[in-house]
Amino acid sequence: MFDTVTSARALMGLSLAFHIGFTALGIGLPLLLLLAEGIGLKTGNPLYREMARRWSRVAALLFAVGAVSGTVLSFEFGLLWSRWMEFSGEIIGFTFALEGFAFFTEAIFLGIYIYGWERLSPVAHWLCTIPITVASAFSAFFVISANAWMNQPRGFELVNGQVSDINPWRVMFNPATPYQTTHGTLAAYVAAGFAVAGVYAWAMLRGDRSEYNRRALVLALAVAAVATPLQIVSGDLSARFLARNQPQKFAAMEGQFKTEKGAPLRIGGWVDVNARETRYAIEIPKALSFLGYEDFNAEVRGLDDFAQDEIPEPRLVHYPFQVMVAAGFFMLFVAAWFFVNLWRTRSVRPGRWLLYAILAASPMGFIAIEAGWFVTEFGRQPWIVWQVMRTSEGATPREGVWVLLIVFSLAYAALTAGLLMLLLRWRPHLFEPRRRFPEVPRVT
Amino acid sequence: MSLEILAAGVVMAGLIAYAMFGGADFGGGVWTALASGPRGARQREAIFQAMGPVWETNHVWLILVLVTLWTAFPTAFAYLFTALFVPLSIALLGIVFRGAAFAYRHFGASEGTELPATGLVFSVASILTPLFMGFAIGAVAGGRIEVEDGNVVSGYVSPWVQPFALACGLIAVAICGFLTACYMTARTDGALREDFRRRALASSVVLGGLTTAAIAIAYWNAEAFWDRLSAPGPIVVMLLAVAGGIASLIVLWRGLWPLVPPVAAGTVALVIAAWGAAQYPYFILPSERISDVAANDTTLRFFLVALPIGSLILVPSLVLLYWTFSENTDPARRTTARGRAQR
Ligand code: HDD
Ligand code: HEM
Ligand code: HEM
Repeated sequence: MFDTVTSARALMGLSLAFHIGFTALGIGLPLLLLLAEGIGLKTGNPLYREMARRWSRVAALLFAVGAVSGTVLSFEFGLLWSRWMEFSGEIIGFTFALEGFAFFTEAIFLGIYIYGWERLSPVAHWLCTIPITVASAFSAFFVISANAWMNQPRGFELVNGQVSDINPWRVMFNPATPYQTTHGTLAAYVAAGFAVAGVYAWAMLRGDRSEYNRRALVLALAVAAVATPLQIVSGDLSARFLARNQPQKFAAMEGQFKTEKGAPLRIGGWVDVNARETRYAIEIPKALSFLGYEDFNAEVRGLDDFAQDEIPEPRLVHYPFQVMVAAGFFMLFVAAWFFVNLWRTRSVRPGRWLLYAILAASPMGFIAIEAGWFVTEFGRQPWIVWQVMRTSEGATPREGVWVLLIVFSLAYAALTAGLLMLLLRWRPHLFEPRRRFPEVPRVT
Repeated sequence: MSLEILAAGVVMAGLIAYAMFGGADFGGGVWTALASGPRGARQREAIFQAMGPVWETNHVWLILVLVTLWTAFPTAFAYLFTALFVPLSIALLGIVFRGAAFAYRHFGASEGTELPATGLVFSVASILTPLFMGFAIGAVAGGRIEVEDGNVVSGYVSPWVQPFALACGLIAVAICGFLTACYMTARTDGALREDFRRRALASSVVLGGLTTAAIAIAYWNAEAFWDRLSAPGPIVVMLLAVAGGIASLIVLWRGLWPLVPPVAAGTVALVIAAWGAAQYPYFILPSERISDVAANDTTLRFFLVALPIGSLILVPSLVLLYWTFSENTDPARRTTARGRAQR
């Protein structure tokens, strides 16, 4: 079967891709809960409380899967990457320890929130959403800063292979941290906003334009509409940071093989690794030099200019990057369309095409997140810790990793199947007040 | 006291907390599988309701142990996850399926979209996880993990397929079952409480028997551990654990319900502490001392300073959580109890 390093990489990538899908909602949904329940409290409109109640059910489910898949990652650091952890643990472990506190806070208040609808006063109940929202954003910050360290390892000295002089602040606030944490955390709000909006767009397409669905749609898209432009701006900053600090990754993202002054921006295209060029792309002259360095004639280093055993595989980086950017602009377009429409008609009456567009955008946030992480992770290769430790040096000495790869692939398939069976039968858009909550009147 | 000893104390404390809180959730699976008698369904339901709000928080203790290992004992972490590749992988699968099955079942119950077999998966996974974690702990104490020049040289199975380690696995399951049964006596009453009382008494006897057997097995199968166990410190802790066990029997027998959970939790803490005391100053018996596998002092200092600061947020929040959900969870009584939980 596959060798240890290949299996470990595949399993790590699969596990992370699985985890991030849930945690994006784990970070984004609490903000939506905070807003929905808060608006409900402020306006007295019971629809919002019901909205929060429904979302909290699915939040509980997704959080649990997020927590178990996160545990898988923690074990995999040892099962798959023991030598990497032996080296990095004392450097970045501290970051994860702080994350542990964020997890605790999040899990505690989530437990109180989900199970406390009848036990707490409405205001106390709403207050619980604040620590959940804040703690989930902090967990993202801490874990992404650990990843940023893998890209820009700082805050330690290496003497004869021995780590010394560790400075945990410089580790946590390494040069990549501000860019990656901002971009990586905002992404969750984009994704959650569009995902939730999709549910209600779908309900409207099926003819159910109740006030409940309209309000839920506006709220979800409002969050997405604020986050998406910020996300694109921060993505641009990330790219410029990479141009200067991880030029190999930047070149791979852009399909730039030759070092070039006034390099064009290549959109799409086919990365021909044999001919060492990117063909059939839409080329915008000099735009890449400008985007990377604010100068139309700046020199962009190409992949051929670097040591050939220190560059990533460009196909694994260029295509995901195109997907992320395309998804980002598509979502921006849909959010703008919706709010222009709202402003022009002074009412929530999206037409069919707009609803289809929202439906199409609803998985885009997740797609962009997965694609973006592929850019980051594949683009770092062949390093597990950039220019310090190779991925192959970080793997476990154990042989049986391919067994784990198979077993956990099956486990993820089973979890996903179960989840789909649960969620596809769930009807969050049908507003039917239940007998147990007589204080919520029916609104038609 | 040196920094690494303090950090090792944190690992120990985290494990104890994980056993006291998380252990009871695994025990929930044990008694879901063994629910019987005319009130079988009510037993299951009461456990299910009691676990709901707290299991995810309880699970974070494990994460705390792991991140402490990464930060303070990265070398030990690498050794353990290499040497115990097989049992830890299986325990991980158990954790995944236990958690997912519980969450799916809960969502299904509240939304009327139940999936088949989640109860079964939940039970099986809840038993497998402590069993294999117990094997792993037994391997650490049993002295069969071999490290040479910073490389693990023992095989996939030899450290843990040993009588002593296997006994530790059973002890772990017994601990979980014992804790759940004890905790549930304080959250039920009437006939249901009697059911849990009988289960608690039975499991305390089983636990006592298994620990005694494990000590006897250690004599010929875990020599290093046996040697250290007979030092004065560990003996004192062990005697305290025995006293705790007797006290649990008494409070259960006399029906002093509010005392049952703390006494049971204390007993379990002492059993684990006895193991810890016997290990000291070794992290992995027989060769790796705590100081051999610890991180550098800067990291340890940062970690040990962050810990109490974080606890300032953590402890009051934990108290709030347990206080909010400390009431009777018997489904037959919940209709009258303050605030029916969600359904
Ligand atoms: C909603 C999701 C989303 C959207 C719309 C975008 N991104 Fe992104 N991007 C991510 C979600 C994301 C991410 C998944 O969150 C990543 C992975 C690592 C990280 O920190 O964020 C990421 C990484 C990432 C990186 C690599 C960072 C690194 O390796 O250090 C760059 C250069 C960009 N993005 C650039 C962009 C640009 C120019 C966008 C303009 C449209 C864009 N992203 C939209
Ligand atoms: C959650 C979103 C993430 C996704 C989707 C993701 C994806 C991936 C992928 C696809 C790989 C395989 C790359 C390859 O070997 O070619 C990988 C490797 C890895 N990732 Fe991530 N990653 C994510 C976040 C993180 C974070 C936050 C960390 C650490 C703090 C991390 C640590 C690692 C490690 C240690 C490896 C293995 C070594 C390597 O291949 O370089 N990842 N990830
Ligand atoms: C960028 C990538 C990541 C993000 C944004 C992220 C975020 C989160 C969030 C918000 C949660 C809370 C649970 C939920 O929302 O479902 C969570 C859970 C968890 N994550 Fe991640 N995570 C990432 C990567 C990782 C990595 C690389 C690890 C492994 C070391 C990890 C370990 C965990 C663990 C152990 C939990 C469970 C905590 C609990 O029991 O509550 N995560 N993550």
